[in-house]
Amino acid sequence: MSAAADTACPAIQAGLTAEAILALLAPLGGAKDPADRWGLTVIVPREQLRAAMQLLRDGETTRFDLCLDVAGIDYLGYPDWRGPRFAVSYPLKSTVFRHRVTIKVQVDEDDASVPSLHDVWSSCDWAERETWDQYGIVFAGHPNLKRLLNHHEFVGHPLRKDYPCQKRQKLSVNDPMVDQLQAKLRALGYEILEQPAVTPGMPLTQKEIAK
Amino acid sequence: MRVKTPQGEIVDLMTINLGPSHPATHGTLRLFAALDGETIAAAVGEMGYLHRGFEKMVEQGTYQQVLPFTDRLNYCSAMMNNIAFCKAVERMFGVELPERAVTLRVILLELSRMIDHLVCNGANLVDLGALTNFWYFFNPRERVYQIWERLCGARLTNTVTRIGGMYRDTYPGFEQDVLAVVKVIEDAVTEVLGLIERNRIFIDRTRDIGTVGAAEAISAGWTGPCLRAAGVDRDLRKDEPYYGYETYEFETVLGTTGDTFDRIMVRMYEIRESAKIVRQAVARLKPGPVNTADARLSLPSRNQVYHDMEALINSFKLIYEGVRPPAGECYDAIEAANGELGFLIVSDGGTNPYRIKVRAPCFTQWSHYPGMLTGSMVADVASSLGSINIIAGELDR
Repeated sequence: MSAAADTACPAIQAGLTAEAILALLAPLGGAKDPADRWGLTVIVPREQLRAAMQLLRDGETTRFDLCLDVAGIDYLGYPDWRGPRFAVSYPLKSTVFRHRVTIKVQVDEDDASVPSLHDVWSSCDWAERETWDQYGIVFAGHPNLKRLLNHHEFVGHPLRKDYPCQKRQKLSVNDPMVDQLQAKLRALGYEILEQPAVTPGMPLTQKEIAK
Repeated sequence: MRVKTPQGEIVDLMTINLGPSHPATHGTLRLFAALDGETIAAAVGEMGYLHRGFEKMVEQGTYQQVLPFTDRLNYCSAMMNNIAFCKAVERMFGVELPERAVTLRVILLELSRMIDHLVCNGANLVDLGALTNFWYFFNPRERVYQIWERLCGARLTNTVTRIGGMYRDTYPGFEQDVLAVVKVIEDAVTEVLGLIERNRIFIDRTRDIGTVGAAEAISAGWTGPCLRAAGVDRDLRKDEPYYGYETYEFETVLGTTGDTFDRIMVRMYEIRESAKIVRQAVARLKPGPVNTADARLSLPSRNQVYHDMEALINSFKLIYEGVRPPAGECYDAIEAANGELGFLIVSDGGTNPYRIKVRAPCFTQWSHYPGMLTGSMVADVASSLGSINIIAGELDR
C-alpha cells in the first residue's frame, strides 16, 4: 500500500480541446452533436465507427482507453425529431489525459445494426448485449449477442418507446448456459468430447399460464 | 462433461451453479462454472435477477420522482446515487449550489463512501471466515445510519437531496455526531487492520488471488477502487474535481498488483482518507441556505406562497408539473464508492426524462468477473467476488 506520490503511475495530463478532437474525427465524417451542450458528443457515421474508435483508443494524443458505457436511445416521439429512430452513445474517457468524449452512431429502424466493439474494449461485450436486449439494435460481429437483463424467453425490447410499460410476460425456464460455457471452454483450447445431459427446467403448465 | 484439455489430457469436468441465490453472492447473481478438480476451467456469469426496469420506470415520471428510484441503485450508499443524479440535472440547468449545500454533500458523500467500504470489506472478510471484523464494522455503520435517521428520517433509502439543493438543513448537533462517528469508524479500521494486515491466513487467502492487472482492468472498463488496486491512480475527485474536492487535502490510495488483497486494502485506507475529508468539510460548514434560489428548481417559501401570486404559481408548477431541464443530452459522473457512477440524461425539454442511462460501476466489474476466475480455485470464488463489490441493485437496475 502506498500513497500516490511514490508510485509509477504518472499524474493525469492535460487533454485535447473539443476543437482538436473534432478536427481529428472530421476526416472520418465526425460532426459535433448540437444536442450535447454540456460536454462533447461527436456523431460518427456507422461505417467509420470502428476506425474512429480505434483511432481514439490508440492515438498518441487521445488514448481513450476506457469505454464507460454503451447506451441506446430511441427517438420515437421526440419532439420535432427528423433523424433516424435510434442512436447508440459511447461515453469514453482516458486514464492518461484529462478529456472525455461521447461518440454517437445513428441507426435507422429498418437496418438497426452497429459494428461490435467487443474486441476494441472488452467492456463493450456485455454493454452491447444489454443494448441489444433493451433496444433490439444488433451489434454485427458480436460473438454472443444474447439477452442480458431480461429473461431469455422475453419477447420484444422493453426500452423502445413503443413497448408499453404495463405489459406483462410469463417467463418460466431458466437458461442452462451450457452453450456459453462450452464456447468459453473451446476458446480456452478445450475440446468437448461428450455433451452433458442437460435437464431442462419445468415449463409453466397451461393452468399457470392462464392465471 | 468429458473434454480434452489444451495439454491433451482427457478429463471429466464437473459443471456447477453458484447462485442465483447463494449466501456468498450477497445478492442474486448466477455463476456457472466447469470444474477440473478444484480448479475452475471456465466460468460464465448471468445477471438480471434484480432487474426492475429502472430505466423504463424513470421515463414515466418527473425528474423529482426519479430520486427515490436512485436510492435503490447502490443501496449501501444510497446518498451517493441521489447526489450523482441531482448533480447531473443541476449541470443541465447550469445552477450553482449554495456553499452550505455543497459542503453538506461532500460530508454525505464521504460518509457514504465510508459505510459502503465498511459493508464491502466487512462482508468480504466474513466470506473469508473472519467473522469478528464484521461486528467491528457494522457497529460504526449503524451509528452512521442513526445520523441518517435524524437527518432525513430514513435509514437505507434516504432521498436526501433535491434537484437544486438538499431536502432540508441538518439538525442541531449534526457536526458533533459526524465527528464522533468518524472517530469510531477510524478506530474500527485500525482494529480490523490490526487483525488482518499481517495475518498469515488472510494474506495466503488473498495475495495473488483474483489478480486483474492494470491493462486488463482498463480494457474491462473498471473504475474506482478496483482500478486503483491495479496501480492506476485515477480518481474523479482528483482528476476532474467537483464540489471543490481540489481544495481538500487527501491522497488517493493505490495497490500494486490488483489482487484481492489490494482491493480490500485500498478500501480500508480510503476510509481513512475519507475521514480526513469529512473533518475538513465539517470545519468549513457555515450557516446558510441549502437550496438554490433559482425559481426553476426550488420551491418558494410558504410565506411567499401565501402572499405572492407569482410564488403561488411557481410552487404549483414545480409540484404538479416538475422541473424542465433544457432539451439536450448530458453525461455527468461522480466518483462513487464503487467507481464512476454516471448518468446519461436525454431531455426533450419536458418534465419527464426522455431517457436516463445509468453507468453503474458494478456492471463492468461483474462482466469481467467470470473471465477473471479462469484457473482459480473454487474456494476463492467468494473472496474475489466480495472484493469487487457487486451490488445487485445497481448492476441490474
